Amino acid sequence: MIDVTKRTVELYIPSELGFEKIAMASASAVAQRMGFPAERIEDLKTAISEACINAIEYGSEFDVSTAVLVILNLSNEELEINVVDQGKKEFTGENIEPGARENRRGWGIFLIKNLMDEVEFSKAPGGGNQIRMVIHLEKKDRP
Amino acid sequence: MAEELKATVRHRGNLAIIDLKGDVTIFAEDAISKAYREASAKSPKRIALNFARSEYINSAGIAVIINVVTEARKNYGDTFIVGLTPHFQKIFKMVGLAQYAQILDAEEEIPIYSQSES
Repeated sequence: MIDVTKRTVELYIPSELGFEKIAMASASAVAQRMGFPAERIEDLKTAISEACINAIEYGSEFDVSTAVLVILNLSNEELEINVVDQGKKEFTGENIEPGARENRRGWGIFLIKNLMDEVEFSKAPGGGNQIRMVIHLEKKDRP
Repeated sequence: MAEELKATVRHRGNLAIIDLKGDVTIFAEDAISKAYREASAKSPKRIALNFARSEYINSAGIAVIINVVTEARKNYGDTFIVGLTPHFQKIFKMVGLAQYAQILDAEEEIPIYSQSES
């Protein structure tokens, strides 16, 4: 467990399915160092995977020449994750719900919303889509 | 980057078991559908999906599983999902898969209904 007053990790992954696992592994390593319990780390891995897949499918439309930016902001109380894409297709987070069983992206957003403590969909300063997710570190797990 | 899924079929009496090894993603759709057709060819009474060797399952993979499980439920009645980690058991219940299949820790927990399933 480390004492993190405020630190940032930034990661660019290619807009290609499969590379979301790199973001998962990085976030998992960071969360482990921060003292998150295993169950919450699994939640985080699924949420970050779905956010990256969403960015690759929608924001970058599978254009492998572009990248998805993943920013991890660490503090003693929480881990904030921002996933930023190219914004090729606008995505608000509200327009896809898992009404139809075959709606794959709908399940992804559904999972993100149910697994993270805070979720926010917005426009990134550069114009792309941004998903901000926060997972809180319980007091007993803090340094 | 992604670990390609391999889906193989075993039969235990009137139970068909589809063993999944690798990543359950959109790329797994063909392998899972093919295995389901192979399992169906022997007209089993029940079907189980075994995830004991699948570590990565994403929403696209879940959508594939939902389609197979609802189809199996319609055609064969009892359907089982086994071998999931506690995290993915939670996820599968969250998306409503428990309505269509019994989610059990391990294959050994699938109830034996006939003498031929030993």
